[in-house]
Amino acid sequence: MPASRSAVKVLIANRGEIALRVIRACRELSFGTVAVYSDCDRSALHVRAADEAYHLGPSPAVDSYLRIDKLIEIAIRSGATLVHPGYGFLAENDTFAAACVEAGLTFVGPDPHVIALMGGKTSAREVAVAADVPIVPGTREPFDAGTPLAEIAAAAAVVGYPLLVKAVAGGGGKGMRAVARAEDLADAVTTARSEAGAAFGDSAIYLERRLIEPRHIEIQLLADRHGTVLPFVERECSIQRRHQKVVEESPSPVLAPETREAMAAAAARVAAQVGYTGAGTIEFLLDDSGAFYFLEMNTRLQVEHAVTEMVTGIDLVQWQLRIALGERLTVAPGQALTPRGHAIECRIYAEDPDRGFLPSPGLVRALSVPGGPGVRDDRGVAACFDIPTFYDSLISKLIVWGETREDAISRLRRVLDEYRVVGVSTTLPFFRWLVDQPAFAVGRFSTTYLDDILATRSEPFVLPTNDDTLDALVATAVAGWLRAHRALSAGGSVGRAWRDTGRRESLR
Amino acid sequence: MIFEIEIDGTVRSVSVQPIGDAGAAGGLFQIRIVGPGVGSEGARDPFLVDARPTELGLSLAYPDTGRSVDVAITPRPAGEQLLQLPHVDVRAVLDGRRLRRDGADGGAGTGEQRVAAPMPGRILRVMVERGQEVIARQPLLVMEAMKMENEIRALRAGRVKDISVAAGHSVESGRLLLIIE
Repeated sequence: MPASRSAVKVLIANRGEIALRVIRACRELSFGTVAVYSDCDRSALHVRAADEAYHLGPSPAVDSYLRIDKLIEIAIRSGATLVHPGYGFLAENDTFAAACVEAGLTFVGPDPHVIALMGGKTSAREVAVAADVPIVPGTREPFDAGTPLAEIAAAAAVVGYPLLVKAVAGGGGKGMRAVARAEDLADAVTTARSEAGAAFGDSAIYLERRLIEPRHIEIQLLADRHGTVLPFVERECSIQRRHQKVVEESPSPVLAPETREAMAAAAARVAAQVGYTGAGTIEFLLDDSGAFYFLEMNTRLQVEHAVTEMVTGIDLVQWQLRIALGERLTVAPGQALTPRGHAIECRIYAEDPDRGFLPSPGLVRALSVPGGPGVRDDRGVAACFDIPTFYDSLISKLIVWGETREDAISRLRRVLDEYRVVGVSTTLPFFRWLVDQPAFAVGRFSTTYLDDILATRSEPFVLPTNDDTLDALVATAVAGWLRAHRALSAGGSVGRAWRDTGRRESLR
Repeated sequence: MIFEIEIDGTVRSVSVQPIGDAGAAGGLFQIRIVGPGVGSEGARDPFLVDARPTELGLSLAYPDTGRSVDVAITPRPAGEQLLQLPHVDVRAVLDGRRLRRDGADGGAGTGEQRVAAPMPGRILRVMVERGQEVIARQPLLVMEAMKMENEIRALRAGRVKDISVAAGHSVESGRLLLIIE
């Protein structure tokens, strides 16, 4: 270990659980940490945990976490030498990476031109083809905003239906539309373009064949600056809601060992093809015949990286930082590719699953987090924190480990029952329901599994018993009585007490 | 004191009568529920509960059955209370603004649903029309907020009485979107 490590200081250009995750890795490497925050994040956990914290600006992301100029200025002012972008926000923004380099800072990630190359969906597909990795059939060139519909329709007929209209700059399901029949193409193109234009400032689209009930399987990799590319055991991320991953696990319950090796080798070829450095992920679709196709590359750390860490024992974030400092990868390929046991992650959001997963931001009044063997809770929220409406509402990533998948599911059931978040609705009841689904237990699901269920489901995920309903009625009524009693017995300040009660009631 | 409380589309009226020195620190209360019967204790009329405030809500103990339970209570927008029981969340709408003194009869309430924006955002689509009959949990409109499209659904069945927003409108949290009667 270089003795100079204590002089290293890292600015984390992010918030929430991922900022905290990076701070933890920095601490373990004896690096200094610099956090940034928007108005509403002043008391957020990542701010409290870092050695230093600097105000970025107003709460909307465009005025804070997306302000490249301010981030660079804070990095320089604080004496940070490394900039870790986390995921989301500027993590895949090549302009930000280039601005860091230009300011003499080390961006923890690949070179800016690699981010740009792999960030464009069509150019990334070309890289995959050049690396001899199969891609989902589709159009090779993007259609810009001015391309007439007739031209797109002609290309669609060649690709074949059903197909997907996808934004070149897309991600997280934004700017993506499924089209079953030719007559629906025009609408899909219009909405995909407008969504992509609004979300990414780029309305270019392309077409891709829609595979029937595919699984989403991805390969994590690390690549150092000395030519070593290290692929990891796969992650299975097929449990998705509207193209957003909800549950991730490693290894996949279905992948044959020879497919794993072929997929890992393919991922390594793609990374080597572009001189990739740092942590990245190659996403594949696996069809029911066992054939896989390159989907896209994420040139950053992913939300679900923790499941890989749990089954390999390798700290991906520490390696990101060490690679950025020029260290050589010393992990044995076998350790990265051979899972020990099974890990499952649930993304716990402040969303109400019984109301179509509507965000439920607000004050987290108390949190009780499960412990015991095989549990990891990566959260970015503490009690007394008001979950803002400006960003996604992730409370925590709950990860369990078990010797087998069955063990991991049993443990997950126990841990979900122990988890309490008071004050906001969360997706916990949904996960309690999911772990008891037969299809989940046997690992028989595709990327459409969850959306198909949710489309027809109307009953709550966890039903209250008769006693629960009674307790709720009694508690509501007695609490109402106590409020009125307090207000009325406040004597001369009755008016004020009523007002205060009203104010409390109107708290989100 | 009588409260009209709606849970999952069913309105019941619950009367609360303090016994002895029950006050701000809680104590023993006599409860009477008018409406569809619920729970082990609900079969008795009236029944007793020993309710004590906790840091997050109430600790309830029923002297008749010995059952005890901890309930976290959080007020949410539009008169809704989020009640978090050990394994399940229950949402209750308290018509507390219309709370009455004892003596009034425990009617079933008007049952009008005033659907408010749960967060600031933009209306993308309105999926119902004025006068339309809707069923419980039917999607009413789609809002874009927190980077996601979110469906706002009906709490229970009814008829759309009024719609006060249209696609493209930006709304603040708590803004009335539509009324179902």
